[in-house]
Amino acid sequence: MATTGQEEFTLDTAAELAAKEGGARIEGRSPWALAARRLRRNSVALAFFGIFLLVVVCCLLAPVYSSHVSHLGENETNPGGVIVENGKRIHVISQGHTTIVNGVPNVVPGGVPIGPQWGAAGGQYVLGADELGRDVATRLLYGGRNSLFVGVVSAAICTVLSVVLALVAGYFGGVVDWIISRLFDLIWAFPVVLLGIALGTALTINGFHHFGINISGQSLWIPTAVISYVFIPYIGRPLRGQVLALRQREFIEAATAQGAGALRIMFSELLPNIASSVLVLFTLIVANTILTEAGLSFLGAGVQPPNPSWGTMIAEGQSMLANDPWLSLFPGIAIAITVLSLNVFGDGLRDALDPRARVRVEHA
Amino acid sequence: MKRKPGRSVALATVVAAGLALVLSACGGGGGGAASTTTSATTAATAGKTFPVLKVVWGTTDYMDPGLSYRLESWQLFQDIYLGLVMKAHVSCQTGDCTKILPALATSTGTVTNGGKDFMFTLRKGLKYSNGMPIKASDFKSSIIRDFRLNSPGIGFYSNIVGVDACEKNPTKCSDISGIVTNDKAGTIEIKLKQPESDFLYVLSIPFSTLLPSSTPAKDTENPPPPANGPYYIASYAPSKSFVIERNPYWRKGEIPGMPDGNPDKVVGTMTDDLAQSAQLVASGQDDYDENLLPTDRLQYYKSKYGSQIRFYTTPSTYYFFMNWRLPPFKSVLARKAVNYAINRQALVNLRGGLGVPTWNFLPPSYPQYKKITPTPYPYDLAKAKKLVQQSGTAGETVTVYTIGDVTFDKAAGEYLQGQLKKIGYNAKIRELAGANYFTIVGNQSTKAQIGFTDWFEDYPYPSDWFNILQNGENITQTHNNNYGNVNVPAINHEIDRLDHLPPSQAFSPQTNAAWANIDRELMVKYASTAPYLNGILTSFFSSRMNMSCDIFDDSQDDFAQFCLK
Repeated sequence: MATTGQEEFTLDTAAELAAKEGGARIEGRSPWALAARRLRRNSVALAFFGIFLLVVVCCLLAPVYSSHVSHLGENETNPGGVIVENGKRIHVISQGHTTIVNGVPNVVPGGVPIGPQWGAAGGQYVLGADELGRDVATRLLYGGRNSLFVGVVSAAICTVLSVVLALVAGYFGGVVDWIISRLFDLIWAFPVVLLGIALGTALTINGFHHFGINISGQSLWIPTAVISYVFIPYIGRPLRGQVLALRQREFIEAATAQGAGALRIMFSELLPNIASSVLVLFTLIVANTILTEAGLSFLGAGVQPPNPSWGTMIAEGQSMLANDPWLSLFPGIAIAITVLSLNVFGDGLRDALDPRARVRVEHA
Repeated sequence: MKRKPGRSVALATVVAAGLALVLSACGGGGGGAASTTTSATTAATAGKTFPVLKVVWGTTDYMDPGLSYRLESWQLFQDIYLGLVMKAHVSCQTGDCTKILPALATSTGTVTNGGKDFMFTLRKGLKYSNGMPIKASDFKSSIIRDFRLNSPGIGFYSNIVGVDACEKNPTKCSDISGIVTNDKAGTIEIKLKQPESDFLYVLSIPFSTLLPSSTPAKDTENPPPPANGPYYIASYAPSKSFVIERNPYWRKGEIPGMPDGNPDKVVGTMTDDLAQSAQLVASGQDDYDENLLPTDRLQYYKSKYGSQIRFYTTPSTYYFFMNWRLPPFKSVLARKAVNYAINRQALVNLRGGLGVPTWNFLPPSYPQYKKITPTPYPYDLAKAKKLVQQSGTAGETVTVYTIGDVTFDKAAGEYLQGQLKKIGYNAKIRELAGANYFTIVGNQSTKAQIGFTDWFEDYPYPSDWFNILQNGENITQTHNNNYGNVNVPAINHEIDRLDHLPPSQAFSPQTNAAWANIDRELMVKYASTAPYLNGILTSFFSSRMNMSCDIFDDSQDDFAQFCLK
């Protein structure tokens, strides 16, 4: 039973409710209302959800930041590394050059990002510049948009596909269940990152041009599709198990007796009964997909440069880690905050919706 | 030559033209004269032997002289695999590092028949590192082996008589009638279809080294083929390590000008991680770092280990190619716009300062180089935008190709993409792995519009630049080195003319001026490419090494001459 350390959230029985309500008349409440009530009382989960929303809002405001604060696009380069603020020249990258004297080069090393300007450059380069003179803060926000887009959309696609497959497998059983289960096993057999790299690399080279669908290798839809695919069994398998159990329940027999068809039973009877699990799984899988996106992008199989994502930004900063650790540190912190907030909120949601904790996401 | 990663190049049509040679000892046996000169050149570093030299090295493609086309291998091969002739092992700052000297041959050859026949005689008593005698016929079998390996170097031999069948079906090559050898007399005669000004340089590169005729026509890596120089490769673990030891059959001083070598043994660790590489030397675990120092740590290393670091200019040019066959760069105005749009100093900065901005295609180390003045394309975005408008190509989609796994190459490509956007193109970028980048952009079916490339010389003559990289007659469907499909008939003709001048005129002021004029015409009139910097390389030594023994010829350090303090 999950707790916050202050109180328990499994107010399941009428007696408990009555005691809580001070003996007032007990009104019937839906499971969703009860869950909302439990969630409202989990202040830690809500606080972390607030943090996640704050990250989302900040990233959505990236164009505003770009046009009104930094005045630099996410891919706008400035390898010269000099800006002029109030008539004053500010270097954001050290200046290097070579002069040849009698055939011997005299090298003045340069090209190294100087670091965060904070407020010294009038809103530009608040978090400094990368080696190409691109504004790190602007890229961090735009990168967040890409990372969140890929993470959330791939989790959504993955969830929808998994739910459909789980319902079909669990409802029909037999050969259909065997085929779908083997499909889950097949995907499950490969480590997520390995499969993601293989598919991501193959698809980013030439894009996807089949079945009338044309997606370029640079498109965000490539990592989105790859990630949504590799996580299918992680949602599909636990849901299939639930559907198999529900399939034997009396209300399904009753629906069948009333003449309900397969589609109706799957989507009107079974789906509502697994909806809370679906919601919990979705929340928890988003954290995983964001992490996976970062991993794939770091390895070059996700978001394609020069488009930023938190993973590509870490990769770009990797070669300069000794001198400029902040290039990788800022996107790393952003990933950590986002994933942590989603995981804590997801746990809270699970405690609220599924107090007996039947649903667990197996980490990839 | 290719820096890294290796380009798979078949120069099948490339080094075809030419004129009789050239160089200092042309037409005569000059061995004696060369001996006197070169004995002095290595004297300063000779006789300072020590037991073990530990080095850290960049990874390479092959450790087989018939296959490797990478600087990392060639730098080792210079003291391991010798040809009939060799480039002098002297510093460019103190001597003529481009001079050709006799190596396994007694002289730099006798040239007859208007520059079409070369005759060499092998030195007597030479042996490979496995004890087998070196025979004249090994030269022929080695060139045939190059073809059977489908080596990237086979294009260098396309001017030899009787090579046509081998070119048509390289892996079935069995004979080249234009190479006539006599093992008993130790003579090697090479007949060319037409004179070729750079042919002695061709004979000095690793593809022309002599290997035992029994060497299998396949990649032999562990151990690599027997050596004929002062050292041999005792073991090699690809991308991990190598061990080089003294050739037990090498007789000291037997080839004047060839260092006998100071270290008894060289133990190498291989990595492409520049930071790790530098750290191994800084910590004293290794004595020499063959890799470039990491640009973001250059200031640190320079300030802390300044006396242990050397910077060297190299005969290299970094440039963006622009495809003349495809829009928008069919238009000379669009090509000029790109030249105005790139800030060369900014690109030097991007390489940590390790470069010198250039507007010429030919590097400044060449006697044929003449700086183009006034600066033809000063950085001017407004002018670039205007030119794009005038060309009628504004708004067109352009895909920039670059190498994604080499920091500077990737950054340069992304910079170019940004600049193209600024001047009005819908620019996208395609980053490819270095291992197959040049194969892909060198294939016409890729239709690469614009992209990153660089060139480090194979040998110091302008034909290695203009004939290979910008002669329209040498454009091929695959393995094309002329990535931009540069093709100006008048300039093609002029390149051919210069290659066919009499030997005595190969380095004459008029010839040099003519090459310089080609450089100027291509850049100013046609904006054929967008060159932006000549590269600087670093050499980093541990504190126990004596820096005065660092002999850097025009593109590499000579490990055999390294010595301790």
